[in-house]
Amino acid sequence: MNTLIELKNITKTFDDQQVLKGINLKINENEFLTLLGPSGCGKTTTLRIIAGFDEADSGELLFDGIEISKLPPYKREVNTVFQKYALFPHLNVAENIAFGLNIKKTDKTVVVQKVEKMLELVGLSGFEKRDVTSLSGGQQQRVAIARALINEPKVLLLDEPLGALDARLRKEMQTELKKIQKEVGITFIYVTHDQEEALSMSDTVVVMNDGYIQQIGTPTDVYNEPENRFVASFIGESNIIKGTMIRDCLVSFDGFEFECVDKGFKENEEIEVVLRPEDIDIVKPENAKIKGTVESVVFKGVHYEIMVRTELRSYMIHTTDFFEVGLDVGLTFGPEDIHVMWKMV
Amino acid sequence: MRYFKNLVKPYIAWTAVMIVIPIFMMLLYSITNSGNSLVNIQFTFENFKRFTEPVYLSVFIKSIKLGLITVVICLVLGYALAYIISQFKESTQGVLILLVTIPMWINMLLRTYAWISLLSDNGIINAFLDKLGIGPIKMMYTDFAVMIGQICDFLPFMIIPIHTSLSKMDKSYVEAAYDLGANPVQTFFKVVFKLSIPGVLNGIIMVFLLSISTFVIPKLLGGGQYVLIGNLIESQFVSVGDWNFGSALSIVLAGIILFAIKWMKKIDTGEN
Repeated sequence: MNTLIELKNITKTFDDQQVLKGINLKINENEFLTLLGPSGCGKTTTLRIIAGFDEADSGELLFDGIEISKLPPYKREVNTVFQKYALFPHLNVAENIAFGLNIKKTDKTVVVQKVEKMLELVGLSGFEKRDVTSLSGGQQQRVAIARALINEPKVLLLDEPLGALDARLRKEMQTELKKIQKEVGITFIYVTHDQEEALSMSDTVVVMNDGYIQQIGTPTDVYNEPENRFVASFIGESNIIKGTMIRDCLVSFDGFEFECVDKGFKENEEIEVVLRPEDIDIVKPENAKIKGTVESVVFKGVHYEIMVRTELRSYMIHTTDFFEVGLDVGLTFGPEDIHVMWKMV
Repeated sequence: MRYFKNLVKPYIAWTAVMIVIPIFMMLLYSITNSGNSLVNIQFTFENFKRFTEPVYLSVFIKSIKLGLITVVICLVLGYALAYIISQFKESTQGVLILLVTIPMWINMLLRTYAWISLLSDNGIINAFLDKLGIGPIKMMYTDFAVMIGQICDFLPFMIIPIHTSLSKMDKSYVEAAYDLGANPVQTFFKVVFKLSIPGVLNGIIMVFLLSISTFVIPKLLGGGQYVLIGNLIESQFVSVGDWNFGSALSIVLAGIILFAIKWMKKIDTGEN
């Protein structure tokens, strides 16, 4: 895969507040890349720097190997789907979609054909003459995507595009977006704070916090092998426990030693362990090292969320089996369920 | 709710006494002869017929022409100013708009008198020109003087509505236009201007309305010979004492303004 966009040590400060503290990122062709993080982490600023709406204070921005930091947005080969869509209220659906082509003085008949094709792609055939303000959120969203894609950009930037939609429609649009990305075969850079959205759509997830990139990896990587406490707690539920790496494949926490699959740490290094709630099994107390009492049980639909009070902490467990409050239980997990990560400084 | 409904009543009474009845009286005056007593009313269209006499008609045409020129100049100047103001950060914008409105706090008569001392033959501007060796230029009692006065007085009424529509415009529209390949000039004409049209129309209506009905400015800066509709109506009521003809003129003027507003609103809804 070829690198299409490269960010080298990008920093940005707004009113004395440093929003980006040195971002290094390579984005490949045809990749669905998601910038994931809580609000204020710098993900939208990163996107705006790529689009050209904001200029980085320092660092390089390469597009196809060429430095483009100083290039105004209207000369860049990227298009954006805005958070609130920003459809022009004085133009109808077809005119909105054709905006980019009309600016380039494209032949009228070509424009009409392309608009029709785009509307078909986003599932809005026959909506040409509609007033954009009369459309529902989901439909406006589709128009915004069509308006961006008709320019055949090399990269489509999406700034929390599903944020304003209800849960059901959001699910539907996730599938749709992924399908569109496959169909047009271009790079999508997607900004969201919704971890589920990021995990289900992306090829690569970039987890950001506090102006830094915390981890870059596939959705499975960032979920199963979080690099630090922030990633572990931001993506999914987790039990995070301080511990010590005794040697490769042997870790100690809560006063017991456990076999694990992690290597490459120093001997006796202070680390943190992540145990995902669904990876912990509840067994009879005599069959487990860690023992405790069921503290609370909450029904969550598919599973129960059970808190088990042990000597040192409460563990969160997700299981489809029911256990009564007050029951004495043991907790077990396999070596591959233990995820060891660097301790955050 | 019923309780609150009662609160409207004083306003209804106010509107009736201060607006509806006077308009009705004007209508009545305009279609009757002078010297009527209430017992013996004589209806006539004579007052409206008089309006079509070339003398009066030319006054109307001159007024409308001057109004339109004022509107166009105010629009160009006002839009530029409003646009520049809207580019500043919000707190600065507040201060700038305040500066725009400050002249309006001063009595219009005073402002107009100020122009006399600036524009007159031995006024400040001519004194300055004299120093430069350029002979005195006659500015008072010309179209130029009246126009300057009108434009300076009415410009804020153009700036404020345009500024309002520009400043409340979502900046993401501009970004979206850039994003789709439009350069700043194309963005302005294809997006920003189009979206500010409601403000532009409001400004046009305001300035046209004010400039077509003004009588103080042409009287002071245009001199006694300079007659616009406003002056004509004023003189009918104040010096001539023909309230019937004055009323008829007022009704015609009101009709023109109403028609202009209607027409503007039509453009507005047609655009969107």
